[in-house]
Amino acid sequence: MMIKPHRIDLEMFEGPLDLLLFLIKRDELNIYDIPVAQITKDFLEYVNLAKELKLHSAGDFVLMAATLMKIKARMLLPIEADGDEEIEDPRTELMNMLLEYKRYKEAAGAFSNLERVERPHYYHIPGAWDPQQEDKTAILEDIKLYDIMLTFRYLLKNYEEPVTHSVAIEEVTMSEQVGFLNGLLQAKTSLKFSSLLEQFESRLIVVVTFLAILEMLRGRQIKVKQTKLFDDLLLSRGAEFGN
Amino acid sequence: MEINELKQIVEALLIATPEPLTETRFKACMGRAEPVLPLDEIIEELQAEYSASDRAFFIKEVAGGYQLVTKAEYEIFVKGLFSKSGKLRLSQAALETLAIVSYRQPVTRNDIEAIRGVSSDSSLRTLLDRKLLEIRGRDDGPGRALLYRTSIEFLQYFGLNSVKDLPKLREVEDILSEDQGELV
Repeated sequence: MMIKPHRIDLEMFEGPLDLLLFLIKRDELNIYDIPVAQITKDFLEYVNLAKELKLHSAGDFVLMAATLMKIKARMLLPIEADGDEEIEDPRTELMNMLLEYKRYKEAAGAFSNLERVERPHYYHIPGAWDPQQEDKTAILEDIKLYDIMLTFRYLLKNYEEPVTHSVAIEEVTMSEQVGFLNGLLQAKTSLKFSSLLEQFESRLIVVVTFLAILEMLRGRQIKVKQTKLFDDLLLSRGAEFGN
Repeated sequence: MEINELKQIVEALLIATPEPLTETRFKACMGRAEPVLPLDEIIEELQAEYSASDRAFFIKEVAGGYQLVTKAEYEIFVKGLFSKSGKLRLSQAALETLAIVSYRQPVTRNDIEAIRGVSSDSSLRTLLDRKLLEIRGRDDGPGRALLYRTSIEFLQYFGLNSVKDLPKLREVEDILSEDQGELV
């Protein structure tokens, strides 16, 4: 008996591969010898539902549907026996993807079990009570790139472009801004990112300058410090400054 | 230095440490005072003491060090101290993403999406926000994509001592034969 797909069912699936694994298991199909025509038909029923639901992953499902139909078409083509040359089964790539995904899906289950075991245990949370935070001059040396990005997003959100009415092509390049920052840091040992923002006339310059900072950070020409997340970025000379 | 004094020092360090206490960090805290016992032996003594006196906590070996954790039976009370979001369970999408990163790190978002067959942007963001993953540099390939890897918090969250203690990634044949067993 065929079980008809259900509306709610679709949200159970993490994506097209998950759905295919479900169909394979439900119909007791052999993953090494997938009946493509049958599975394509079942899969499409679900995809039509996905389109209806406007799931954000609908695109991934449609892409897989196209792949399945392509495989189905290639299966229909006559195989030209051309000497001893081995002809690859058009299903191989999909099969390997399914097998690989299955391994990680299973591992995710193992992590879920660990999570269940560990969740009831509470421990001291780093930073929950940090006496150093009382000291306003304390500086986190170990900021992660992600923290810098978050801060930038935050600062940019609060940055208001001054209202100007002249129309001109702004030309600003990253290397110009690297030079600009180099100049500033030659005159001063450190400077605040927010003080830079104040003097820029457009979002574009802000973004390009931020890219210049990341570039210089990568080349260790400068160092970036921050007292806490979303706080101002403090730029100073790095080991490779001026090179 | 007497063993009892040493035990008390370690106890103080365990209470105050913001991350699992390692042997190296322990030695650094001791400074010139030469401990007569290695950290693991002192921990063992403390642990025995705690279990003999039936404390509400115990010492857990995690992320290459030691930390005090509360016993599971107090969860219903202790959780009242924290916001709900802090201990929300991870979604299936986040768990899959985390599994891929932990076995194949460092990986790019593309590597993850190639295996999952679905966009993994939002689960990556969740995992970064919860500090279970971190960005470690960029790929050398075209586009210089960001590389992700697991963090110390990841080890703490799952109670693992190191990435070597990850649950074994099973071969697909084993999983499939188990599936067959279920059907019979």
